[in-house]
Amino acid sequence: MTIEGGQTLNTTALKPLGSGLLALAVALATQSSQAASEAEQIIQGKCLACHAQEGDQQWSRISHQRKTPEGWLMTIARMQIMHGLEISDEDRRMLVKYLADRQGLAPSETEGARYALERRLNTQESFESQGFTEMCARCHSGARVLLQRRPASEWEHLVHFHLGQWPTTEFQALARDRDWLDLALNKMVPELAETQPLDSEAWIAWQQQAEAPVAGDWTLAGHMPGKGNFHARMNVTSAEGEDQFTLTLTGEYADGTVLAGTGQAILYTGYEWRANIEINDQMMRQVFVLNDGQLNGRMFLRDQDEVGADVVAVRDAKGTSRILALQPSHIKAGSEAEISIVGTGLSGLPILGNGVDVVEVLSASPDLIRVRARASANGIGVSTPAVGAIEGERFVVYDRIAAVKVVPEFAVARIGGNGSSTPKVEARFEAEAWAAGPDGKPGTDDDYRIGMVPANWAVAPFNEVADADGDVRFSGQMNANTGVFTPAAAGPNPQRRMMTNNAGNLKVQATVQDGAQTLSAEGQMIVTVQRWNNPPIP
Amino acid sequence: MKHLKAINNKAQLLSQAVADDSVEEVVAMSSLAGCTATTDPGWEIDAFGGVTSLCQPMEADLYGCADPCWWPAQVPDMMNTYPDWNKDAMNSKDDWRNLGTVFPQDKN
Repeated sequence: MTIEGGQTLNTTALKPLGSGLLALAVALATQSSQAASEAEQIIQGKCLACHAQEGDQQWSRISHQRKTPEGWLMTIARMQIMHGLEISDEDRRMLVKYLADRQGLAPSETEGARYALERRLNTQESFESQGFTEMCARCHSGARVLLQRRPASEWEHLVHFHLGQWPTTEFQALARDRDWLDLALNKMVPELAETQPLDSEAWIAWQQQAEAPVAGDWTLAGHMPGKGNFHARMNVTSAEGEDQFTLTLTGEYADGTVLAGTGQAILYTGYEWRANIEINDQMMRQVFVLNDGQLNGRMFLRDQDEVGADVVAVRDAKGTSRILALQPSHIKAGSEAEISIVGTGLSGLPILGNGVDVVEVLSASPDLIRVRARASANGIGVSTPAVGAIEGERFVVYDRIAAVKVVPEFAVARIGGNGSSTPKVEARFEAEAWAAGPDGKPGTDDDYRIGMVPANWAVAPFNEVADADGDVRFSGQMNANTGVFTPAAAGPNPQRRMMTNNAGNLKVQATVQDGAQTLSAEGQMIVTVQRWNNPPIP
Repeated sequence: MKHLKAINNKAQLLSQAVADDSVEEVVAMSSLAGCTATTDPGWEIDAFGGVTSLCQPMEADLYGCADPCWWPAQVPDMMNTYPDWNKDAMNSKDDWRNLGTVFPQDKN
């Protein structure tokens, strides 16, 4: 059906279930339809005070947009904050689930913008469209827009909403100096309707996909800047509620720190995995995408989301063998090191590459093989390791580090704490080592990445102004060993000129020792002020 | 610019940028996800990619910025959305600790 020139979404009420287990399928379908019915009752009771019913399971505004779970959460939160909606957390969760399942994004539609969901807030955004950059991404992340789909009429409503809610929009730079409203309505709306349309082949195709299995045992491999590699096992058990699970995780960091906890997960839109899991007394959030029996994404402290790990996980399944990660994934020629191979269905002798001898197998199980390896100078370069009949990932033998990069090369930290509501936001840096490749010259196409290596860390004034203002002294402390920068306290500082905040503009300096040679690299860090508006998509 | 004379640091920085023909190098857009370099100046980062041209200490005229919703993605706007945001912090210099975050707690 069509209303007011808008489009109505093609939705499939229930996704077809995989073959087998008919009784379970019926039970799940019943659970799903019960949840849908409850969500529709909440919409009837809460949303239709303002929104209009347009047909069976069709409502004004609501039925003409598609978003991520976080996008729907922000929409409902906005109704609470701006329009006086009163709704319990439980009802809101049910609505987010219902809307994200029926009006979500296909996995491919989130590609290139997942950094926002994964809270990788040091990502430097860059867009081809200058109009989009100047109109949307100059105040909030561009990802917030890229993770939505609407027809032109709904993008137009969004423009009017912005101007109505924030009437000074037209007084700001890049608005007062041009015809902002004309540009917004007549240039940006058609552009977004074209690039982010409500209906898409990808979404129609995704709705026909069979549900992927989730319950079972998983192997996780992760890397946390400032802490190191870890591997873990995660048991996932179906729980009461549609697509809900309980989790138990046990694992270990490379430095021996135990990683253990329990939590709950929910799967939205058939692939958007979100979990809260209490690990070592800290609540962590998992934002993963489920694809081809793997979970990929980031796990971070819920209340300090700059502290997090890149994670990849694979589910145990009969006949499935996969190498997930090698920890570490590099070795220096002429040295000996302990290497962990993390995966599922691992069986057989590991082969790490030419010129690498497995001196001793320290332990072997289907999800983890630990070996002591020795590398000779014969195998310098990148190899694809193998365990038994399977190959995967990469392993590097290097003789010399040719260059080091600071990762991230540009980062933001925020002052905080000091009795306030906003915690400090740390910045975490790592030193990424590169080899020169066969030509022996760094900076050419045949260079290859070795991996993260230990470094000594320091900060310095970024420029003369930062030097004159004493930014190094005031804006925080760099841990020389871990690369973790802890910013200073929030609030005006009477010790600084004009009582200014403990903000700063700093060079981040890494020094890496590789045998007799010392290498260095630089990045930049802005230490800036706190923000009080912290939605899940920035 | 010939009839205008720079009298404060920010204006001198701008004049310097023009004199050095480095205006094109200015970071005029948000450079980190969710951080703003706009407008007049940005909240997190100034137009030069640093922090020296920000309004700081930001507590000095915070409400002069929150009232007209100058950075609504970062600072709760008090014109429409959060009119009572500073009810426990009327004097921002002394009471800034009482300013709260605004997104509802439950993020599930």
